[in-house]
Amino acid sequence: MHEMGVAAEVRRIARASVANRGSGRITCVRLAVGDLAAIEPELLKYAWEALVQGTSEEGAALEIDWRPAKQTCRVCGDLPGRAPGTWLRLCPKCGGILRVTGGDDLDVLSVVFEEDDAVQGAEGGAR
Amino acid sequence: MTEVDVKQKVLAANAAAAASLREMFSRSGTLAVNLISSPGSGKTTLLEKTVAALKGSLRLGGIEGDIATERDAERLRKMGIPARQILTGGSCHLDARQVERALAEEEGGLSGLDILFIENVGNLICPTGYDLGEDFKIVLLSVTEGEDKPFKYPAIFSKAAVTVVTKIDLLPYVPFDLPAVREQVATLAPEGRIVEVSATSGAGMDAWIRLLTDALARKRAGVPAAGVAT
Repeated sequence: MHEMGVAAEVRRIARASVANRGSGRITCVRLAVGDLAAIEPELLKYAWEALVQGTSEEGAALEIDWRPAKQTCRVCGDLPGRAPGTWLRLCPKCGGILRVTGGDDLDVLSVVFEEDDAVQGAEGGAR
Repeated sequence: MTEVDVKQKVLAANAAAAASLREMFSRSGTLAVNLISSPGSGKTTLLEKTVAALKGSLRLGGIEGDIATERDAERLRKMGIPARQILTGGSCHLDARQVERALAEEEGGLSGLDILFIENVGNLICPTGYDLGEDFKIVLLSVTEGEDKPFKYPAIFSKAAVTVVTKIDLLPYVPFDLPAVREQVATLAPEGRIVEVSATSGAGMDAWIRLLTDALARKRAGVPAAGVAT
């Protein structure tokens, strides 16, 4: 429900990151989103499209790297696999208690942009 | 094409405001709790009864988040404690800057408290992602909502240090599998606490009050909050 606000914050961070490196047109923003971050990826993409429409970022892609939460055994340290949306009550290997970790990522990973002063055909300095 | 590494939290601005609130609560020794639930699960009623039980011995205050109306803050003020209403005007959660502003606008009326109750907007999803500088989150689940809530909303149930099952006086009249809820909560928050209360009948209220006073005592003694981190 607050995806529009998140999209605006993503754009603010992306613009500031590009401004630190010169100037250019943002073509893609890569984002990590955890499945416990209270963000619906499709809604966020929809909000992003609406936000950038008619601006210099129009057409810029929002790529979402989906990060599921993990359940880790506190006893044997194992990371049992689980189907999305299901939770294991106890460690299938040793019966130990599982801790829920991660899944709360909501990070801008990187921004791809076309530099204003880039020579045609020349690739800018990669990562 | 140039790709720049950013690796920055989208909610970094909120996190910074939350950190400054946490430092302020730490300096004043205030236990701050962030109450999150669906609309109508009984947050305000639980707070009214909590205030009635504790206001003689502790300095309490409330911040009430709602989309509209001053009703909830008025209910707490009627109970004799300072309370500030934050009207979010359609926004689905409170953020740390709104809490900072509310505390500033109250001009000291909400400072130096023993316990600050922050009642979030009724919503099980969006408030989960916004740190308000609280010691811990508390999620409420009323028995009329159905027993599948924890697995349907794993984010809040895995992040809340305390789950309060409310309206247990209605258990004889509604199909609600309490053992199943306990199992789901234990799965998502193995270090979390679960308390089962009825603000109407008073059942379980002693355990709830003790949980709060113990948490305050631990905070004053410098022991980290019980259960899951915020």
